[in-house]
Amino acid sequence: MKLIELKDVKKTFQDGRKTIEALKPTNFSVEEGEFVAVIGPSGSGKSTFLTIIGGLQTPTEGNVFIREDKFSELDEKERAKKRFDEIGFILQASNLIPFLTVKDQLKLVNKIEKSKLDEDKVQNLLSELGIDHLMDKYPSDLSGGEKQRAAIARAMYHNPAVILADEPTASLDTDRAFEVVEILARETKKEKKATIMVTHDERLTDYCDAVYTMKDGVLTKNQKK
Amino acid sequence: MFLAWREIKYSKTRFALIIGVVILIAYLVFFLTGLAYGLAQENRMSIDKWDSDGIVLADESNLNINMSMFPKEQIDDIEASEKASLGVASSVVQPADESDEESKINVTFFGIDKEEFIFPEVVEGEEFESNREVIADISLREEEGIEIGDELSLAGMDLTVEIVGFTENAKFSVGPVLYTNHPTYQEIRASGFGEREEEIISAIVVRSDSEELADVETNSEDLNVYSTSEFISNLPGYTAQVLTFGLMIGFLVLIAAMIIGIFIYVLTLQKSSMLGVMKAQGISSSYIAKSVIGQTFLLSFIGVFTGLGLTLLTGLLLPATVPYQNNFIFLASITSLLIIVAVAGAFFSVRTVVNIDPLEAID
Ligand SMILES: Nc1ncnc2c1ncn2[C@@H]1O[C@H](COP(=O)(O)OP(=O)(O)OP(=O)(O)O)[C@@H](O)[C@H]1O
Ligand SMILES: [Mg+2]
Repeated sequence: MKLIELKDVKKTFQDGRKTIEALKPTNFSVEEGEFVAVIGPSGSGKSTFLTIIGGLQTPTEGNVFIREDKFSELDEKERAKKRFDEIGFILQASNLIPFLTVKDQLKLVNKIEKSKLDEDKVQNLLSELGIDHLMDKYPSDLSGGEKQRAAIARAMYHNPAVILADEPTASLDTDRAFEVVEILARETKKEKKATIMVTHDERLTDYCDAVYTMKDGVLTKNQKK
Repeated sequence: MFLAWREIKYSKTRFALIIGVVILIAYLVFFLTGLAYGLAQENRMSIDKWDSDGIVLADESNLNINMSMFPKEQIDDIEASEKASLGVASSVVQPADESDEESKINVTFFGIDKEEFIFPEVVEGEEFESNREVIADISLREEEGIEIGDELSLAGMDLTVEIVGFTENAKFSVGPVLYTNHPTYQEIRASGFGEREEEIISAIVVRSDSEELADVETNSEDLNVYSTSEFISNLPGYTAQVLTFGLMIGFLVLIAAMIIGIFIYVLTLQKSSMLGVMKAQGISSSYIAKSVIGQTFLLSFIGVFTGLGLTLLTGLLLPATVPYQNNFIFLASITSLLIIVAVAGAFFSVRTVVNIDPLEAID
């Protein structure tokens, strides 16, 4: 099943009298269990692409579908709701809340949904990611790699359809970066997510099922090596 | 509340400082209120004690009871459901066996009739039976150490009175009241005026059965009836004093709102990138706004109640001469006002929360 699909999505920005085509008309889809990487030079439109999928901005033309539901035409409030339910974000710098312990980061999801914290689920998820012993630590006490793993846990916790990662390894050294991407690839397969990762580092794409290159707003699929 | 509490627990020092400021402001507001109320009470307590509806004063007195005098027999012309004659004279007294300046006390004598309704309830000792006996406000004992049976001499007069009983809440013009009978009052009043044949009084206190004293009739050109509340607000300095304190308290409450509002605003601005991330994760603005408001409520609740506790404690420790007095209605309304106003201040920040663009979380 296509968890995410873009049909003729285009994004332009008006900069004075100049029109910037940040994303040229694009068709794109990701299947269940598929791990996709997007690489490309700075300013090529990778973040624009990712934030349109995540519903943080709307396309100028075209439509975004999540689980075959039209997503991009919902209003801001409904998109936020959908984002909460179906999309897990992992950002470059840690997107953890500084005053919550790793466990409370997950508990917040329950608080918002007004549901009860599932202790077993938390335990399993965190040990899967190798950070169950850090459950009661605050983000400031974690290393960069541990933080990103906690961010992955946060993104996975409420079982979204799609995981969007914008340079999740930017603040990590090579070994930690490989570790984190490996975990992301494993969880994508196991939990049947559609994961899109934007990265600068081509070496990390070894774990991916498909690699796309963004250049001047044009997205092209790379040939398998 | 989940986020609100966790954040307070995490940044203890920061929030302790904010709560500390709230405590100080609340303490100041409560304490000023207590003082203002106490002072106002000391002006009017003895009047409230009458439980009256109106007062008849001489027309030319301009509502100043000290300037009002007319013959006692005029009470017979007045129509009211209940009436009581009252003579007022301010004076300086001193324990008869002392002569130093320190021991002098400013008092007001109330000349009254034993059978009439303004006669005070005696909490200790006896009612006065004969001339030159007085019932005094209990503050004379609490503040000056004067006991039943003590003799007080009147300054500049060859006259002493004996304390036979004490009553409570009898203060007029921020000083104690001494109640005595009319003949004694005439002696006190007449000093300096020379002897006069007829008995003179200052006012007639009335109770009425109808709205706005409609059933009270003075039947005299020279007398005028005023409502008790009008009389109180025209006590010398009373309205000015109440207004001054009222304004100070009002401004303090506003300042409290602004300070808390600014604190919360700065905290929200500091957190804006984190809030952007939360919004990118799909956490709604209303959830975040609720937690900002909830946090303000917690901070102001803790701060205001601690301030209240400190004020009550201070009230217990203050010497009796400080006119501090608790009024639970005032304390309760200021407590809720401070909290409401603080929470209102936090609404500044809600706009900021709503305007944060989750896009800023990326890049
Ligand atoms: N809100 C906006 N208004 C105007 N132009 C924008 C806006 N957002 C993005 N752009 C432009 O769109 C283009 C693509 O930007 P984008 O952030 O998607 O690049 P990127 O590939 O993520 O770059 P990087 O690798 O540096 O993060 C850039 O030229 C950028 O200046
Ligand atoms: Mg980018």
